[in-house]
Amino acid sequence: MSRTRTLIAALRAELGAADPLPPPPPIPAIPAPPARVYTPRPERSGYAAHAAKHTTALVGIGHVGTRYATDVVLQFQAELAVAHAAVDAELPADWAAANGFQPVHTRATDHREFLLRPDLGRRLDEASLAAVRSQCTRGADVQIIVADGLSAVACVQSGKALADAVAAACGARGLTVGTPIAARYARVWLEDEIGQETGARVAMILLGERPGLGTGDGLSAYVVYAPRIGKTDGDRNMISNIHARGVPVEEAATRLAALASAMIAQKTSGVPLDLALLGLSRERSPRPPQVRQRLVTRGAP
Amino acid sequence: MSSVLEPIPPTVLSVRRLFNADPALVRGYGGDPARHVALGLVTCDQDDAMYVALDEATKHAPVDVIFARSFYAGAAHASGRLSGEVLGVIAAADPQAIEDGLAALLRCLEHDACFYDADGQRTVTVFPHVISSLGEYLSAEAGLAPGEPMAYLVAPPLEATIALDAALKAADVRVVRITPPPTETNFACAWLTGSLDACEAAAVAYAAAVVDVATTPKR
Repeated sequence: MSRTRTLIAALRAELGAADPLPPPPPIPAIPAPPARVYTPRPERSGYAAHAAKHTTALVGIGHVGTRYATDVVLQFQAELAVAHAAVDAELPADWAAANGFQPVHTRATDHREFLLRPDLGRRLDEASLAAVRSQCTRGADVQIIVADGLSAVACVQSGKALADAVAAACGARGLTVGTPIAARYARVWLEDEIGQETGARVAMILLGERPGLGTGDGLSAYVVYAPRIGKTDGDRNMISNIHARGVPVEEAATRLAALASAMIAQKTSGVPLDLALLGLSRERSPRPPQVRQRLVTRGAP
Repeated sequence: MSSVLEPIPPTVLSVRRLFNADPALVRGYGGDPARHVALGLVTCDQDDAMYVALDEATKHAPVDVIFARSFYAGAAHASGRLSGEVLGVIAAADPQAIEDGLAALLRCLEHDACFYDADGQRTVTVFPHVISSLGEYLSAEAGLAPGEPMAYLVAPPLEATIALDAALKAADVRVVRITPPPTETNFACAWLTGSLDACEAAAVAYAAAVVDVATTPKR
């Protein structure tokens, strides 16, 4: 509405004009900007469609004009949010004790420091070192450690189940298992120090893995023979993607127990370990393709 | 006194576009052929409403006002049916800017800027317009910064003189420009600036004084 017209209408009323003003002309509706409609074009390449069945990577997603389709963008943003939330999550301080683990802490004092200082996450603090020395069984065949790593979500969700399944699978193979330990603010190499202090023959750390797109609940397991501080990644074997849509917990437990017994039999781990002697019939079979979890559904066009 | 201060809506007489104007023409009308390719031309029977509307166009589209002149003796003595009393020309690099600018200009003429009837018979009229935020065109003409408020006050010669005195005394405003009569259309004009409230108070005082003179011309 015109400010000047309002002012003058008020002055007019003040001067005593009684008859109503003619109604102001209707303000025309401002037309919406022209909508340019692009039809989503599904990926027509047979190769891309086939490849997309075997991966959760963003292949074969088609395009709309020069851009991604809206549902693809939203799915990407939702998956990124899942990953961010997983990294931000912290393992509750009483989780270890409540689930029957021996709780230990690394030298990282808070979550931010843990994220920024990987070196502090690889060593026990003084109190935890003393607890490991005094409370834990020494000289077991396999020392299992559950840890938060980069996804406390995964640790809380399936850490306990995986640790129990691995312990049962190891027991079935006649291996002794040490006191289960749960570590907070832990990195992979923490297993070297804990294994060294407990004198275990094999140390196995099960920890939340770095979240990927849409996968915030994956666990990884790293296994090392004769753990000592100073072991490198070449000395380790690992299984990743332990979650419902990847490697199921039961299958992972079977393979981890087989790995541990192969290490003890061959007295080595990592690159020198001969995986052909694992004795798992399924080991060489192709893994079924991982199915993408839809966080966004596409409505009718 | 019955229909005093009724708005007198301006009549738009012609609206034409020249989307690829000849450079010589653009230069002749004060434009820069390098930047001004498309033109929008409007005539209207109220010159001051047109100046305000041209300024409004510069707020809504990347257009320049390259030409805006009133015709001698006003709309009542126009050279033709479509002449009115002013020709305004906006110019831009592309036709879409002209379309956007013309839309804003015509909207302003229809809904905002207009003369008001000061005596109930449309024989004395007043233009007490407040621009709350100047555009590129009038700010350059007035030597003010874009975005400043300005009162744009027009009335016939004696009425304008009495009313300008009243406006200047009514609020804390300062003079930007006074155009004493006669102008092309034989009106008198004043531009005042200050805070928006002051500009509004000045415009209201101006209109009230014009009505007063129109009601009692001899005293």
